[in-house]
Amino acid sequence: MIEIKKVTKKYGDNKALDEVSFTVEDGDIFAFIGHNGAGKTTLIKSIVGIHDFDEGDILIDGMSIKEKPVECKKLMAFVPDNPETYEHMKAIDYINFICDMYDVDSKTREENIKKYSTLFGMEDKLNDTIDSYSHGMKQKVVLISALAHDPKILIMDEPFVGLDPKAVFDIKEVLNEMVKEGKIVFYSTHILDVAEKLCSRVAIIKQGKIVKSGSMKEIKGDKSLENVFMELEG
Amino acid sequence: MKKLFSLIRACMSSDMALFRVKSKNKSKFSSFVPILLAGYIMFIIWSGANSFLEKLAPMNLGYLILATATMGISLMTIIEGIYKSGPLLFNCKDDQLLLSLPIKRRTVLFVRILKLYIFELLYNSMFLLPVMVAYIRWGNVNPTYYLTCIIMLLLLPIIPIAISCVIGAITSGISSKFKFKNAVQIILSMIILVGVMYLSFKVEDVFNYLLANAESINDFITRRYYPAGVFSKLVVDFNVKELLIFVAINIIVMVFTVLVLGKFYFRINSGLKNISTSKTHTKVKDLKFKARSQTSSLIKKEFNTFFKTPVFIINAGFALVLFIVLAVVAAIKFDGVVAFLIDEENGFGLANDLIYNNLSVIIFAFLSFGTFMTSITSSVISLEGRNISILKSLPIKTKTILMSKIYAALLITTPALLVGDLIMFIRFRTNILEALLLIVLSILMPLISHFIGIIINLKYPKLEWETPAEAVKQSTSSFIAVMLGMVVLIIVVGIAFALLGKVLPIIVLLIATGVSGLINLILYLYLTKKSVKDFDSLSL
Repeated sequence: MIEIKKVTKKYGDNKALDEVSFTVEDGDIFAFIGHNGAGKTTLIKSIVGIHDFDEGDILIDGMSIKEKPVECKKLMAFVPDNPETYEHMKAIDYINFICDMYDVDSKTREENIKKYSTLFGMEDKLNDTIDSYSHGMKQKVVLISALAHDPKILIMDEPFVGLDPKAVFDIKEVLNEMVKEGKIVFYSTHILDVAEKLCSRVAIIKQGKIVKSGSMKEIKGDKSLENVFMELEG
Repeated sequence: MKKLFSLIRACMSSDMALFRVKSKNKSKFSSFVPILLAGYIMFIIWSGANSFLEKLAPMNLGYLILATATMGISLMTIIEGIYKSGPLLFNCKDDQLLLSLPIKRRTVLFVRILKLYIFELLYNSMFLLPVMVAYIRWGNVNPTYYLTCIIMLLLLPIIPIAISCVIGAITSGISSKFKFKNAVQIILSMIILVGVMYLSFKVEDVFNYLLANAESINDFITRRYYPAGVFSKLVVDFNVKELLIFVAINIIVMVFTVLVLGKFYFRINSGLKNISTSKTHTKVKDLKFKARSQTSSLIKKEFNTFFKTPVFIINAGFALVLFIVLAVVAAIKFDGVVAFLIDEENGFGLANDLIYNNLSVIIFAFLSFGTFMTSITSSVISLEGRNISILKSLPIKTKTILMSKIYAALLITTPALLVGDLIMFIRFRTNILEALLLIVLSILMPLISHFIGIIINLKYPKLEWETPAEAVKQSTSSFIAVMLGMVVLIIVVGIAFALLGKVLPIIVLLIATGVSGLINLILYLYLTKKSVKDFDSLSL
């Protein structure tokens, strides 16, 4: 479970996050939506321990990310909006590096890397250096490395950007599998129709404040998610 | 012209933050450290220039100090430029943006050369300005002296930069034709750097000879290096025509360099971007899935960064290669080393017996040179760049990340130092106990340098750069580390030589080992307590 408790993050006098609170339960696919600059990436980076925040707390399975960062991070995998990798490494070396950081044994990593690289059509390309890849291929490498250590919580920032339609379809399948196993998928997106079909819960952020949060049904009612979002933005 | 200024402003935006401290735990003191250090270095140079002028001025040869400083700083700029020009001009992160804009390619090239010029102008000023100020007291200066100095400060970096840019373009051009571009570039740069160093030693020999024959000096300087000759001529006898010719020549050199390199710029850049991929794809069943510990995997990552970043390897490797070369030279031509150590004017003024009875301390001095003239870790945090978020999102203790960087640096420096040690042990028949202490020092002293480097880099990180050369060679962190290394080197060698003859060499080595161990302990505690917080507060 992820519990966000009155999290505030300031950049100078500007509040990027203003007492943000909500909870993500096990088995949720949670969509986090908002316009550009609303504070989505700031909150995501705070959850995964990249950014510090000024007030409040974030609990991962009851542990504070501030007090027990390593234990919290062991439960999570993060896929950033821009596929940041060590580009001079071979993809297989990069994925092995991430697995080493999560103490994944050889057998488990072999099974998972084979499974996900085959799924994303990357199985015969992992021995090339990442700097020779396209944006989409880099994103796939980041996804394989995130899934290879079998995380309990998958946090993604705009995961579908730059991916081909088949890869998007395959990821959605993987996410559905994960939540069936009681895992959490938390992701930010601008593609509202995908979020509407895929996610069980949603939070909408505007100027650093959560303006709506709850189950998809509660939030949208009879309207489409796009209409709800546009009304809130208007 | 408006486009050019916009381009310059955009490209220089990250460089303008050269002295900006980007750490949440910054203190006011941290912001002043680079300025204080630069001020201290300038004061030392000013004092040194004054003592030289005290001897030269009565002979009316005071202007020689300006010419000598000009030659020295120009040589330093060429050496620095060889490191940096290739990586700064070619294969930058902003290529995609800049080369797609409706501007001439040579304009992009010009702006990149300009970045190099501005940085070298700052460095040159730090070394030349104190000498110019010192001369005011000893020479009979008039207003034209100030005008000459301003113009010289502005123009002196141009010719060395033009030379190094041409060398950088040639090495980049050649390496762009090969599959293993980085390896070719590293080898070529190393050969050129060692060659330049060799020539500079030869020039110094000739120069020393001519110093003894004062009448030939002016001819020598004018013939050998035109800008130095013009400088001394203008100081002694100001001539507007001579000054204008000098300005014109520098402008022509700059324009010519941009025009000529501009012809090949796009081709070289494209060649460097051609990344080879394996033609026969590896099947997933053939891949390796070996599990490693966090530390060993992090060290492997550091090695990967090191060997895939030519400017990093040249910067770190050059002092180590030089150490081995010096060890070989000391082994083959020890008489020359002894002559230098005995020389009262240019060397240390040591007695002959003192040298032969304390050979292990001489080795220790060489070792200190190999250790403190290079700082690998002063850019290891900056080199993470935007990837710092990868490390920060992973379940690893910050201490593990930082210590892995130290271990990796140690694994790079120690073998080279041990090779140099071994050569000198064999040549000087060092006794076992002293050899063992020197081996321990070959680990403890670089460890100090690595701790200091990473601590400084965490205080002054430069995570936003267009090319790794900016992180390695053009950052506050690397500036402080290099200057601090020189200061530490002078202190260590000074104390060791001061103890010569007063205590046994083994005692000198024991003291050095004990003090090094203690300093390492203090630095380790600082790293694990304070620097960890600096890392955790890093953000882009």
